[in-house]
Amino acid sequence: MRPDPSVGIIGWGSYIPRWRLSLSEIARLWGFAPETPRGLNVIEKAVAGRDEDAVTMGWEAARNALLRAGIDPKEIGAVWFGTESKPYAVKPSATIIAEALGITPDTMATDLEFACRAGSEALRISIGAVASGLVKYALVIGSDTAQANPGDVLEFTASSAATALITGPAREAAAVFEASYTYVTDTPDFWRRAHQPYPLHGEGFTGEPAYFHHIINAVKGLLEQTGLRVSDFDYAVFHQPNGKFPLAVAKRLGFPKEKVLPGLVTPYIGNSYNSSALIGLSRVLDIAKPGQRILLAPFGSGAGSDAYSIVVTDKIIERQDKAPKVDDYINRKCMIDYATYAKFRGIITRIR
Amino acid sequence: MRFSIPRYWRERHSHYRLYAKKCLKCGRINYPPSNICRYCGSNELEDYYLENEKAKVISWTIIYPAPEGFEEQRPRIIAMLETLETKTHIIAPLTDILPEEIKEGMIVEPVLRRIKEDREAGLIHYAIAYRPVIGSIGTKEQ
Repeated sequence: MRPDPSVGIIGWGSYIPRWRLSLSEIARLWGFAPETPRGLNVIEKAVAGRDEDAVTMGWEAARNALLRAGIDPKEIGAVWFGTESKPYAVKPSATIIAEALGITPDTMATDLEFACRAGSEALRISIGAVASGLVKYALVIGSDTAQANPGDVLEFTASSAATALITGPAREAAAVFEASYTYVTDTPDFWRRAHQPYPLHGEGFTGEPAYFHHIINAVKGLLEQTGLRVSDFDYAVFHQPNGKFPLAVAKRLGFPKEKVLPGLVTPYIGNSYNSSALIGLSRVLDIAKPGQRILLAPFGSGAGSDAYSIVVTDKIIERQDKAPKVDDYINRKCMIDYATYAKFRGIITRIR
Repeated sequence: MRFSIPRYWRERHSHYRLYAKKCLKCGRINYPPSNICRYCGSNELEDYYLENEKAKVISWTIIYPAPEGFEEQRPRIIAMLETLETKTHIIAPLTDILPEEIKEGMIVEPVLRRIKEDREAGLIHYAIAYRPVIGSIGTKEQ
């Protein structure tokens, strides 16, 4: 868990499906209080189309990251895919994406699972792999078509999106990892058993013992390890299961709202699970300036949080316009009704 | 199993990356790939992938009576496209688009999508479809 400034982000990219479901439509159908969406600070959520899944969304995010990195895909030595909505229970998603991007066969590839922070665990592993010289570049992807039991409160926010980061040597990077720190415990806040289509959550465990406890301790660990203060950061990006929690955790840690809002994407697209915090980072990288420092703190149920200090380099400017930005995808939207959403996400199924 | 597994595997680069052959003599792109150039007869060709080329819509058809396996994607939109750089003609599905949004000459780009699946337990068939370039279509109420 020591700082390692020899590794950075070479390219980044995200993907959001075009389809959006208004939260008020969910409240109407299931008889929730009309003010429920406002309480979550989320307006609408992104819904993957009938021909999309975690693999196809991860592929597009990775393609955008490759466009920004400007490297030969064959130079990537690891493809690590974090998701909790694998299209296959057994058969790696990572190899499909690696094959489709021309990265195979000389590469490592695997899928990781840790609720919403598998992609972040992949990121930490990639920092070690690049720092040790095991690989030159690693492709890390967080992608989810998040599932929720119809009518469950989770359905308001469970959405679809993907983010990819290519890590590599700091001298080529658009942003450098100054330090990183991880904090995990066994916490029963959210789970999905084998063969179950939808997750369950432990009442009362979601907020305080899970989200807040782990993120606050991860960030405090990072600050103690580095000697950095809250005021040293220009942006703070947290896991964003709804639009309220990230602002609440920021307040408790002492970050002003203005440093959180640029990386707060959930109000527009919902909680994209493994892409949730990473798409916030992606949106900040789209606008960040050289020399700025970003705090990134993803969280995953079960539970754990990582805190990263990321410093932007002067190479970021030339890469920001090389691929579509997060806001380009946020603005590309078509509203759908609950019936279309139910068809797209397999909530209505046909006998085949 | 309704899918031919060997065929899916054999054709994966055509489906994932639009594998083609470029003629070293006349420079034309042979798509689908061919070992003999169908334009000049040369047998000197190299591997070429059309995966990064945007394309324009020449013509399209909207298929309402979807074939078996495509009922959930009804209506299915199939377009004749011409890639912008090598002027290669491709027939492919359009996605992320409503039928009334399609226009002749609109610029589209290749994306990896789930084209079909072998019922609940079989293979998922991924392949390239085309969708309007990001930024070309804004907000829309359905």
